[in-house]
Amino acid sequence: MSPLLIAQIGLTLFVFVMLLSSAAVMVYVERKVAALLQQRLGPYLVGPKGLLQPLADVIKLMFKEELRPRAADALLFALAPIISATCAFAAFAVVPFGASTTFFGLLKIPLRLQVADVNVAILVIFAIASMSVYGIVLAGWSSNSKYSLLGGLRSSAQMISYELSYGLALAAVLLVSNSLSVTEIVNSQAGSWWHVIPRWSVFLQPVGFLIYMTAGIAETNRAPFDFPEAEQELVAGYHTEYSSMSFAMFFLAEYINMVTVSAVATDLFLGGWHGPFLPESLGWIWFLVKVGALLFFYVWMRWTLPRYRYDQLMRFGWKVLLPLSVVNLLVTAAGVLYFGL
Amino acid sequence: MTGSPMLFYLFAAVAVGASLLVIAQRNPVYSVLLLIGSFGALSGLYVLLDAPFVAVIQIIVYAGAIMVLFLFVVMLLNAPHEDTDYDSHVHPLLRPGPMRFGAALALAFGVELVWALTRAGQSGAFAGGAVSSVAQIGHALFTDYAFPFEVTSILILVAMMGAVVLARRD
Repeated sequence: MSPLLIAQIGLTLFVFVMLLSSAAVMVYVERKVAALLQQRLGPYLVGPKGLLQPLADVIKLMFKEELRPRAADALLFALAPIISATCAFAAFAVVPFGASTTFFGLLKIPLRLQVADVNVAILVIFAIASMSVYGIVLAGWSSNSKYSLLGGLRSSAQMISYELSYGLALAAVLLVSNSLSVTEIVNSQAGSWWHVIPRWSVFLQPVGFLIYMTAGIAETNRAPFDFPEAEQELVAGYHTEYSSMSFAMFFLAEYINMVTVSAVATDLFLGGWHGPFLPESLGWIWFLVKVGALLFFYVWMRWTLPRYRYDQLMRFGWKVLLPLSVVNLLVTAAGVLYFGL
Repeated sequence: MTGSPMLFYLFAAVAVGASLLVIAQRNPVYSVLLLIGSFGALSGLYVLLDAPFVAVIQIIVYAGAIMVLFLFVVMLLNAPHEDTDYDSHVHPLLRPGPMRFGAALALAFGVELVWALTRAGQSGAFAGGAVSSVAQIGHALFTDYAFPFEVTSILILVAMMGAVVLARRD
């Protein structure tokens, strides 16, 4: 095996472990930030400052009993969390998170910090996002419980509605950067205008960025769009009947999807690993900082805004967000055509 | 062809197997899922043919959008078990109305398939890599195939208007 192949396999494993641990970190951050916003302490007993709390959570979930309702469809009930988790992991495969590196001269050919460099990467992300709805819908249907079914139906309606705006916001970025490869889109954002403003797409596409983040929150079913699992109405929505590790898989999928949406937003709108002060080989630090900021924004939103009403959500998606993203796309296309941005 | 023949046979077997199982299921939800599996295998075949764009579009449009609506309808109709209301000993061509029509369609499709397969290699094949570039596909779509493209969009508009009219009639 060539060193590059070994490095590639190592990178794949690294991304896998990194995503798993990012979910653990996010669980801790979510609880700590929630506590901060609600003026309480949050977890502080397990480990220093409660840092081992996620580990305790995982151990607790592992030793819980795996329950399945008698009327549930056994095969699909088992399959649904697997679909959710697989889609969550798969989407990150095409997301680059740093410039090429040789690991301090260890490799002859520089290794790109991306699991798979596909030239239609954006569309792959979109395709996997559209597949992840099956995990939730099937979980809702196969549980054979009314709360689960309602949660599943709501989530599929929500994800179908917001996927359109999500895709159109992405399309506007593609027009500006003139490529479908995420690496090229990131590289087109290097440098700055007049040495002050970084050449990030967010400044060319402010509306697109807002649409993307809004639709991204809806796609990952987070508050204020967490209808599939609205506690007051649906107990826990599509995962009402799940326990133990199959519940943990849905939980994991939600956090990994958040990380993926933030990472894609960083790559497409916030200049990826480009930033001042650091050499390009350390660009991944900038990437981590930006993703971390977006994830904090996610948590902040959840504990600040109340949940919308279901009809408000649908009206907002179809009558505000979708027309806005169509107009944004048209204006961008006209701008690229007549001014050659 | 960039991939190995082994991958081709794997994807082809999954596609054909899943498609056959679609009609063998009693539970329509399983049929929908198997059809998604078949679409996934088809998209794998597109990747082997060096057409990643077509492969991804296949997933987005068919597996991601159309099949979700299928699943939606199947779940809302709540008809998990299909009862057969015909005598299975009677030949398909002699069964009542729709069955006979379906059998006739299947027959016509079989004849068409034989006709197409015996003419393999004569179709206007694209040059290598012609379908791998999104720019080239876009260019062809809006120049050579502009008329069919626009006609299709009108067709979809008509279907949308029909849906709105049907939904408002109450």
